[in-house]
Parts: sequence; structure tokens; C-alpha cells
Amino acid sequence: MAESKKGAIDAAQATDLLVTVASSLNERLAITADELARSQAMLREASGELMTAFRGAADRIVAAQKQEAGSMADKPAEFGVVLDHLYRAVQHLQSHDLVNQLIDAQKLRVDKMREKLGEAISLANPPVKDPAQAEQWIERSRAMLDCIVAGIRQIDEDTRVPVHKDKKHAGSVDLF
Amino acid sequence: MKTILAVDDSATMREMVAFVLESAGYRVIEAEDGAQGLDRATNTSVDLVITDQNMPNMDGLTLVRSLRELRDYKSVPILLLTTESSDAMKAQGRAAGATGWLVKPFDPATLLEVVQKVLR
Repeated sequence: MAESKKGAIDAAQATDLLVTVASSLNERLAITADELARSQAMLREASGELMTAFRGAADRIVAAQKQEAGSMADKPAEFGVVLDHLYRAVQHLQSHDLVNQLIDAQKLRVDKMREKLGEAISLANPPVKDPAQAEQWIERSRAMLDCIVAGIRQIDEDTRVPVHKDKKHAGSVDLF
Repeated sequence: MKTILAVDDSATMREMVAFVLESAGYRVIEAEDGAQGLDRATNTSVDLVITDQNMPNMDGLTLVRSLRELRDYKSVPILLLTTESSDAMKAQGRAAGATGWLVKPFDPATLLEVVQKVLR
């Protein structure tokens, strides 16, 4: 009897520990989500400013091109120089865009993990029918763990990875 | 003037591709994903398609396969422009009927060289 009571107490403590760990992890993920959102906002603002500057220069060169009615390849040297600068900007603005997409994917993953942890924590809310029964606490802990594991699997399936940037291959070309 | 269809779910990326191609004298039409790209391609005569791979609604490889089923697009060059760089993905692109595979971020001069080459 005493052994069974101790088992139930241990199992209840294990469940409490699981709730504490899940809650603590969820709080830290909330901070990470907030930091990702702030990083992205700063990056978006910078990218927006760069794009505005880029468009200003690009529009001028395209207008000049239309005036001359031909390809920029035939234009005077100064056009070529401006175009070279714009082409270099094109390459780096793409990197901004790719980083934005990566942050989006990470934010989605963190938000989904928080959601799953929240679901797992909510499973601990209703009181167990018979706290003296270790099995009930074990069942509850298992349900919480199952929820977290299923959540992790679902996140991997749902989260589209938009960017697989491999610096070694960046800019490479294969013609079939 | 040759018309090029640029398909990418990123507005910035479409803008970059369009600027580079227009600066070289090409006409560019844009689409936000594979499904819209397929729609644009069936309603407009296009000389070259440049598409991203990872997009919502319809990905690049599905777009390539769908275009290759259309009589008008049996021999139109189609380039994949994507961050994907694995040999397995490139093999899938080749099997789907893509003409070439370019890895982002692209170099504008290289893009223009490739475009000129496949349009020849």
C-alpha cells in the first residue's frame, strides 16, 4: 500500500516536472519568436529602403534605355558603369530576400512548436480522477509526451523550407 | 522582342529578374506561383520560362511537367532558378524537361549569358 502511494507521488512529481519543463521551454520560445519578429522587422525596413534606392536608379536607366530605343549593351560607357553597380546590387538584394524567407520559415517553426507545447501543457489542467493511482499520472505524462512528439513530426511535415542556400553552389549553372 | 515569363513567389526576386532582363532588351511578364505561371503561359506566347522551385500552389517542377504537356511548350526553353542545389533535385529537373538549372543568388551577367544561349 505504502509502495503504491509512493509510486503515485513519484508519478505525480514526474508529471509536474514535465509541465514545468514544457512551460519553461514555451516561455523561451516566446522570447525567440519575439526576437525573430524584431530581426525581421529591422531587415525588412532596411531591405525596403535599399529597394527604393535600387528602383530609383533602375527606373532612370530603363528610361534612358527607352529614350535610346535599344539594349543597354549598345549604350555609352557611363551607362555600362551604372548598370554594373545595379547588377551588383541585384546580387546582394537577393541575399536579403533569401534571409527574409529563412526567418519566415523559422518563425513558423517556432510558432508551431509553441502551439504544440501549449496543447501539451493544457492536458495537465483537468484534475486526475484518482491521484492515488500512479497509472493515471503516467498516462497523463505519456499523453503530454505523445502530443509533443506528434507536434514535432507535424512541424517537419508542414514547414515548407523556402531556402536551401548552399554558398558553394550559389550562382552555379547547369544546362541539360 | 523576346518575351520571358518569370515565375517566383518572392516579389523582390521577380523584380530583380525583370530588371536584369529588361535592361538587356527583353520583355518580361511575371507570375507569383506555378499555377499562375501556367495560366500566363497558356494565354500569352512566351519564348522562355524562368521559374523558382519552392512555391505555394504549384512548385517549379510541376510547372515544368505541366508546360511540357502543352503542344506550344514542347521545345520552349525552361530554366529553374532556385536555391536548391542538390544533384538529386537537378536530376528531377532534367527528367521533368527543364533546359537548365541556376542556383540563387544569381549573377546578372551569368543569367543574361544563359538566357542568350538558350534563346539562340
